[in-house]
Amino acid sequence: MMSGERAEGAEGCFLDEETFRRCCDHFLQRSQALHDGWSWEQVKGTEEGYMKKTVLGTGRVNISTAQDGHPRAGEVMDAVGDQGQVDDLGDEDTPVPAEGSSVIRFEYHVLYSCSYQTPVLYFRASTLDGRPLSLEDVWDQVHPNYRQRLLQGPWDTITQQEHPLIGQPFFFLHPCRTADFMRPLLQVAHAENRKLNYIVSWLSVVGPVVGLDVPLTYCEPLGSPALPLWHLTDHCLTLPPAGAWQTLHSKGCLNPTAFDHHLISFSFTWM
Amino acid sequence: MAAGHTEKDSANQKLQFAPFCSALEAGFWHQLTQKKLNDYRLDESPKSIKGYYYNGDPAGLPTRLTLEFSAFDATGPTPARCCPALGTLYNMNTFEAFKSCDKKALLEKEANEIWEAVRSEKVLEDPSLLSKFLLLTFADLKKYHFYYWFCFPALCFTEGIQVVEQPVTLEEKFSPKQIAALQVSYDALCSDIGTTAIPYFLVKYTEEAVLVSPLKDWDTFFQGQKKVTVAVYDPCTLSQHPGWPLRNLLVLIATKWGSAVDAVEVLCFRDQTLQGKRSILHSIMLQIRLPELSQTAGCPKSVGWEKNQKGAMGPRMVNLSECMDPKRLAESSVDLNLKLMRWRLVPSLDLDKVVSTRCLLLGAGTLGCNVARTLMGWGVRHITFVDNAKISYSNPVRQPLYEFEDCLSGGKPKALAAVDRLKKIFPGVVAEGHNMSIPMPGHPVNFSGATMEQARRDVEQLESLISAHDVVFLLMDTRESRWLPTVIAASQRKLVVNAALGFDTFVVMRHGLKKPKHTESGGSTPSSASSTPASGSASDSASASSSSTPAGSALVPGSSLFSNIPGHRLGCYFCNDVVAPGDSTRDRTLDQQCTVSRPGLAMIAGALAVELMVSILQHPEGGYAIASSSDDRMNEPPTSLGLAPHQIRGFLSRFDNVLPASLAFDKCTACSPIVLENYERDGFQFLSKVFNSSHSFLEDLTGLTLLHQETQAAECQARNYLTIRPQPNLANPVGYWPRECIEKYKYISALVQLVRLYGSLVFPRGVSAL
Ligand SMILES: [Zn+2]
Repeated sequence: MMSGERAEGAEGCFLDEETFRRCCDHFLQRSQALHDGWSWEQVKGTEEGYMKKTVLGTGRVNISTAQDGHPRAGEVMDAVGDQGQVDDLGDEDTPVPAEGSSVIRFEYHVLYSCSYQTPVLYFRASTLDGRPLSLEDVWDQVHPNYRQRLLQGPWDTITQQEHPLIGQPFFFLHPCRTADFMRPLLQVAHAENRKLNYIVSWLSVVGPVVGLDVPLTYCEPLGSPALPLWHLTDHCLTLPPAGAWQTLHSKGCLNPTAFDHHLISFSFTWM
Repeated sequence: MAAGHTEKDSANQKLQFAPFCSALEAGFWHQLTQKKLNDYRLDESPKSIKGYYYNGDPAGLPTRLTLEFSAFDATGPTPARCCPALGTLYNMNTFEAFKSCDKKALLEKEANEIWEAVRSEKVLEDPSLLSKFLLLTFADLKKYHFYYWFCFPALCFTEGIQVVEQPVTLEEKFSPKQIAALQVSYDALCSDIGTTAIPYFLVKYTEEAVLVSPLKDWDTFFQGQKKVTVAVYDPCTLSQHPGWPLRNLLVLIATKWGSAVDAVEVLCFRDQTLQGKRSILHSIMLQIRLPELSQTAGCPKSVGWEKNQKGAMGPRMVNLSECMDPKRLAESSVDLNLKLMRWRLVPSLDLDKVVSTRCLLLGAGTLGCNVARTLMGWGVRHITFVDNAKISYSNPVRQPLYEFEDCLSGGKPKALAAVDRLKKIFPGVVAEGHNMSIPMPGHPVNFSGATMEQARRDVEQLESLISAHDVVFLLMDTRESRWLPTVIAASQRKLVVNAALGFDTFVVMRHGLKKPKHTESGGSTPSSASSTPASGSASDSASASSSSTPAGSALVPGSSLFSNIPGHRLGCYFCNDVVAPGDSTRDRTLDQQCTVSRPGLAMIAGALAVELMVSILQHPEGGYAIASSSDDRMNEPPTSLGLAPHQIRGFLSRFDNVLPASLAFDKCTACSPIVLENYERDGFQFLSKVFNSSHSFLEDLTGLTLLHQETQAAECQARNYLTIRPQPNLANPVGYWPRECIEKYKYISALVQLVRLYGSLVFPRGVSAL
């Protein structure tokens, strides 16, 4: 049923499109049950589509820094606002100004790459007015403790690229390393005769790098018994469950160097 | 604020609502742009669009109405567990129209429609009519500036709404059993209706059970109850306030059932799933008393225009040039690629140093084209071409900045065509081209006053161009034309990168960078040819002891004639020559041997020239960096990018490069002190003498003539010597050369003989490493 069944040698690291769709279907069913917010977006008038999730968080950077040399929204707007037409439309029935300027919206898209025969992750972050953040702004959100670790991880495979299905600029985690970390996972799953949803396993490795959390509960109905990925430490991966990281982090005892793996996963302080 | 309320007498409190905050997905603006360009064009008529809101946000997020790129498909699906909101888009053609649009009238029109829907009871069939919105936009597609103003119309009670009791959470109000029952009933109603979110519904509860029902079933569901509970799907996360969608519902209730009920209890239904766990415990319950609202009176007062980021009544603007303007997009993508490279090498790679370097390319032929493209790859923004040639039919296949069209009707000037092409490749480049010639030694300019004047202007322009740039690339196809820029750049202390091609060999080198004029001392003059290589080397650096040759012994394989030559003592392109440039009948050197090179050579050499520049720029001492040699390949590299060689000499036939280094020659016809002194003292007067005289002028000036006479005999002996010894070859060269030979014939002349014997290639340093 899942791609893990054909995990054998190097070929097992790859995924055909049909299996990708099946894995996505299964993933989406789980997401729906978990209210995790993933949806399938069909591109109008085509057979093609992708999985999408939007996550909101509050940032701690001055988001307007990227607009240097360009008029800031507020300044330009003064002239327009002073028309008097709507000044008297004020409302005493509002408790607090609804200020969304520090809110950052993350969009994650999972697509199938025919050339790499793997899933690929596209993402972008934007403010609530729809302005995308530069990768540097995104980078600024990363807690300094993690930056050094992330530098050695898949960050160096991030590029800016046009989304192949919707034609808008996105950041893109290059899939060239996918096989490196999927191979041992699939081999272990194969050796232990466990079924593994490729998308779940893959996304739980690459997602945290860009602030995307994949709850462990995705694994539960698949494994028998449920074995979270981070139990596979003997073989290759040291991936503690997301919750564990947050607990450790909130207790202030998180020392990234304690987890010795290049795909160390956390990451974004707003999560 | 919440705390303040609890202390007040609740009878005086008015209910306050958290307004919607507009939230736009980046894709919305892309889609609006497409619509404007392809569908709407100049059509300003209202368009139906669609947004949604969500009641599952974690605390701290604003109450949002979200529009995605799918917003323009008003009949499309709504995301799971979200409520749709239908809106009207007014996209104006001009900023003026956007500004002068009557916002008050727009709001009143929309409010009237809601009022009519309330009175006609259409809302009972379609409750989403209560949560409509307006969006006024102007898209400046030249600047990619988007002006917008949202309105979420809400009808008001003149005297406000009285809060009877402080809001409490559902957890405080309901038993776990009731909460579970509510959740089950709500889910069941959802699946009955065939949706995943219900904007408004009715609630009845006992200790044991919780029932829910659609809004339209009010009469049958409540059956004359005086106290009713209504639920609103609430996008707000504040613990004391409901969100905006409740407002119009209360107007509906007051209008339709106000006279029949005494008290209204409102369930602000919030339904969150975190880490796979669902909870509605944080929903809030409000107890309110509704004022009467007559159906027969006119439409109540309405509010709803969104405040801008400054909290003032005014529109917002978002500048998307960075992600929509193709030019800016190209720039940011190029920068990002380079930054990623830096992040990988963090923190030592100083990209700004590279990107901000102003490069002067003398020559826009095969080398110039390839150098320019590699510079662009490094993000270098400031590139200037000098060339006097026109593009000919044979050029485009080898010179990647030109096309067939550029050759027509006599051909475009290369320097100008190259600039045009660079701007096409990357609009962010700051490129300029100068279609001018560079005066050359032995090429007289004194035919007339006009030609002299032209030469003077050319010299002046070259001087000012060199002065305005940081790095000078010598990429011409003649040897003589390299002389003048070598002299000027040496005098101005500019880094020079030189590339020259043979048929299948090339040299890429940086010229020695003379010490700054004010700090120059006697000790910094280029080494004399009469000093032995060993002593020259040892005096350069005390730490070079391991590679200096013990006096009197033969050079052993692996030892070097020159180690650790600092940048200011390195030679220039002319330092290894014993004839002045300008003579095209004797001693054809590298760039004169053959005008045809193997086609890949220019790309290799052009790329290496730029990479050499970048490595030198990364060295803390820049052009003064000690020259790395092939021997250093095993050592700790001096820069984050590796070695900082003096020269790279390549042999395409063997697919091999060596990294020789050589000292500046005190009789050099271009960079020797006497030449620079004459140039700096007499300027054009001196230069014109060089242009107008034969090569002997420079040779006499520098003392080369004398050297020639001395070495005439040496040459014969060197020849003999070389035939007596086991024939040196590239694999077994100077390493076995007896020291006496070098001492006797003087270092430079011996090498010159080698050059003659081996076809014009000098590699005094590299050979020892072979
Ligand atoms: Zn020289």
